Amino acid sequence: MGLLLDFAIVGLSIGIVYGLVALGISLIYSGLDIVHFAHGEVYMIGAFIGIAIVSISGVPYFGALVGAMIVTGVVGVVIERVFYRRLTRGGGGYTVAGMGMIICGFGMSVALQNVAYLIWGAAPHPYPVSFGMPIFLGNIALPKSYLYILVIALILMAVLHTFLTRTKLGLAVRAVAYNKDTSYLMGVNVPVMISLIFGVACAMAACAGVLIGPINYVQIEMGYLMLLKAFAAAVVGGFGSLPGALLGGVIVGLFETLCAGYLIASYKDIYAFLLLIVVLMVRPTGLLGILVKVKA
Amino acid sequence: MLTIRSLQTGYGKVQILRGIDMAVPEGRIVALLGGNGTGKSTLLKAVSGLLPVWSGAIEFNGEEIQNRKPHVIVRRGLTQVTQGKDMYPAMTVEENLRIGAYTRSDKAGVAADMKKVFDYFPVLGERRRQLAATLSGGEVQMLVIGRGLMANPKLIMLDEPSSALAPRVVLDIFRNVKRINRNEGITILLVEQNVRMALLLAEYGYVIRDGVIHIEGDARDLISDDNVRLAYLGGTVADAGAEMAH
Repeated sequence: MGLLLDFAIVGLSIGIVYGLVALGISLIYSGLDIVHFAHGEVYMIGAFIGIAIVSISGVPYFGALVGAMIVTGVVGVVIERVFYRRLTRGGGGYTVAGMGMIICGFGMSVALQNVAYLIWGAAPHPYPVSFGMPIFLGNIALPKSYLYILVIALILMAVLHTFLTRTKLGLAVRAVAYNKDTSYLMGVNVPVMISLIFGVACAMAACAGVLIGPINYVQIEMGYLMLLKAFAAAVVGGFGSLPGALLGGVIVGLFETLCAGYLIASYKDIYAFLLLIVVLMVRPTGLLGILVKVKA
Repeated sequence: MLTIRSLQTGYGKVQILRGIDMAVPEGRIVALLGGNGTGKSTLLKAVSGLLPVWSGAIEFNGEEIQNRKPHVIVRRGLTQVTQGKDMYPAMTVEENLRIGAYTRSDKAGVAADMKKVFDYFPVLGERRRQLAATLSGGEVQMLVIGRGLMANPKLIMLDEPSSALAPRVVLDIFRNVKRINRNEGITILLVEQNVRMALLLAEYGYVIRDGVIHIEGDARDLISDDNVRLAYLGGTVADAGAEMAH
């Protein structure tokens, strides 16, 4: 029983981290109509920026979290403006559903990985923070970082939800995500909104990176597996649906942790994709993907 | 209020509009008529800034607005009401209306205008908390017109409000358009395929064909014009005129 609880908390925490990255991928997909293949690298860069900030003496872990989100968000806006925006112009609108954007995304992924290599090197970096003693639940010890993930992710979700449903800017973000031309006619400055969406999505990925840092090592190749898991999460939840992305992340995280715990642990990374295949066979739209992609 | 002079534009290298001249005087209802693929929607896109203008001028309220960005043009008081399918289905009726008022920061004015929209279209008030996806075709058309009103515009360009709606519903919507024009003093440019209905509502009409203005004149004259009749009038709503009068 204690073991199950342990697995559940770990799975939930990891799943929420997948969900945060998947949320960004879904946000970019609904906002820009592109599948962002470099999002795993944004997550990796975010984790490194977190280390850089927390290494400045006197900055607490939470300061690094917020700082990494802001810096990575700005980096994301620059990437979108300088590289992706040029491609969307060729399509006559803000959307390019073609190969160009996919290749550009892969290229960006390689480029970001090499930038990170030049700055931080190939060796894994431990996160220079300590949360003190683990919490004891009965006879199992649970590192506090898992609980931090749960709490921070909950706060972040509440903030994002409030932003999207209660503020005028959030309303505009949802409008742009659905239909750019119509939103333009409503007086929304669509190019600025698109940058905002991209920046927020990158900030979420950075948050995921900083949250997972204390659990795993941070290294330049951590993005690729995360991207695949987050894709699995986004598809399981329903591609383009924001609640679906989080739900999918939690399901993927729980599923792979429980399977690794009770079945064969070395197959941990396979279970997520097994789940993905099953969901695609049984319910191709994903769990919450019903009303999502009926774009005009 | 809106003057268009020798406007030329198109998509890519394909020219659609070959020199359009039009005028929409303040406080009036002017109809732009034409069948599918004649350039009506292209003209609307060019005026509202979604499509770059190749040459010619668009003057609104004494200011040249051609090739300005759409969100800038909306702020000048020129709002395009797109076809009903362009509402936001995953938002509530009220959210759809609120996004219409995106350019405004006067909260009291926005609240007053929302009340006004619900006066014109009471059914929207009843359904303000429902998702727009649950509305009927006629209600959706009311919603996009209401959304246009929320921007507090000086001129509304209405893109085919009658499309895919039953004649009775169209009549109801047109009656409200007339009331909005009269009570709010909002100038209307009505773009329609439903020529007979449009000419009953409008005071002046332009008929567009192959990217040029083919015929223009007072609505009364156009209705009885043989060329217009031959080309565009099917004439299925013969009694509509009598009903409009009430």
